[in-house]
Amino acid sequence: MRVILVTGANGGLGQAIARDFIREDSGNFVWLGVHKATDKATALVSEFPERSAIVELNVSDPISWQMALKTILTRHDQLDVLVNNAGRHRDGLLANLDSSAWDDVLSTNLDGVFHGCRAVLPSMISRRQGRIVNISSLSALLAPAGQTNYAAAKAGVIALTQSLAKEVARIGITVNAICPGYIETEALSSWGESEKTAAVARVPMRRLGRPDEVASAVRFLACREASYITGSVLKVDGGIL
Amino acid sequence: MEDVTLLKNRIKKMLVDNLMLQLKPEEIGDDQPLFGPGSIGLDSVDALQLVVALDKNYGIKIPDPAAAKEVLQSVNTIAAAVQRKT
Repeated sequence: MRVILVTGANGGLGQAIARDFIREDSGNFVWLGVHKATDKATALVSEFPERSAIVELNVSDPISWQMALKTILTRHDQLDVLVNNAGRHRDGLLANLDSSAWDDVLSTNLDGVFHGCRAVLPSMISRRQGRIVNISSLSALLAPAGQTNYAAAKAGVIALTQSLAKEVARIGITVNAICPGYIETEALSSWGESEKTAAVARVPMRRLGRPDEVASAVRFLACREASYITGSVLKVDGGIL
Repeated sequence: MEDVTLLKNRIKKMLVDNLMLQLKPEEIGDDQPLFGPGSIGLDSVDALQLVVALDKNYGIKIPDPAAAKEVLQSVNTIAAAVQRKT
C-alpha cells in the first residue's frame, strides 16, 4: 500500500489529484487534508470508503500538521507521498494591498508548504523513502501584475522545493514542484468571459487546462519510477512558457 | 541495563546502516568525533537522520540543535543519552 496525503482537497485541483491517485492504483490510500470538509470531500470519501479518508488540517498551523500526521501514522504507520496543494489568492496591486492579504497568501501558500514538509520528514527519513510534490504556479515564473503576494509565495515554493530536494536527496526522498497554468478550477470562477478568452489566447494549445491533467503530472512525480527526478519544476501550462 | 560495550556496538552499526557509511562499525572509535576535524565525516544531513534514528530506535527526543550538538558528539555521548533514557 502507498499512503498519500493531499492538502487543499476541498478544491477542484485537490479533488482531481486525490481522485486520480485513488482511481489509478488500487494499492493507494488517499488522505484528504481539509480545513473543514465540504460536501465534495465527503462525497469522494463516500465513493471510496476503503481507500480514502478525511483528515482535518490547517496547513498554516504546525500543531494542526502534527495532529494530522498522528492520525495518519496511527492508522497506517507510514506516509509515502505528500502533495502540498492547498493555496489561496488575494490579488491586488501592491500599492493598495492590505497587509492581511500579503500575510494570508504567504501563510497558506508558502508557510503551509514549509510546515508540511517539516511535519512529514521524520517519518520519511526513518523509512528512507518519500515523495513530496509541491503545487507552485506559473505565476511564480511569470510574476503577473496584481499577484505580488501569490507570485512571491509560489516562487518561494519553487526555491524551497529545490533547496529541500538537495538536503534529502541521499536519503531517498524526492521533492518536486509543479507549475500549473490556466486550469479550469474555482480559482477562475470569478473571471469574466472576456478574461477567460484573453487567457486562452495566450495559451499555445488554445484551451484551459483540466484539473485531471495536473493530477496526472502529480501522480507521475509521485510514482516509484520517478526515483531519479528531484528538485524539478514541471510546467503544466499548455505551452505558455 | 544493556552492557555498555554491546550498546556502543549497536550504535556504531546504527550509524553505518542508517547513514550508509563506507566503513565498518568496528572502525569507529568510541570517543571519535562524529563531526568536524578528526571525525568520521558526518554532516548536517547525517545529523538529521541520526536524530530520527535515535527517536525511532531508542525513543530519544532531541528537541533543538543545541541538544543535538551535545548528544551527537561521539558514540560515547550517544550511548550516555541512551543510558539516561533507559
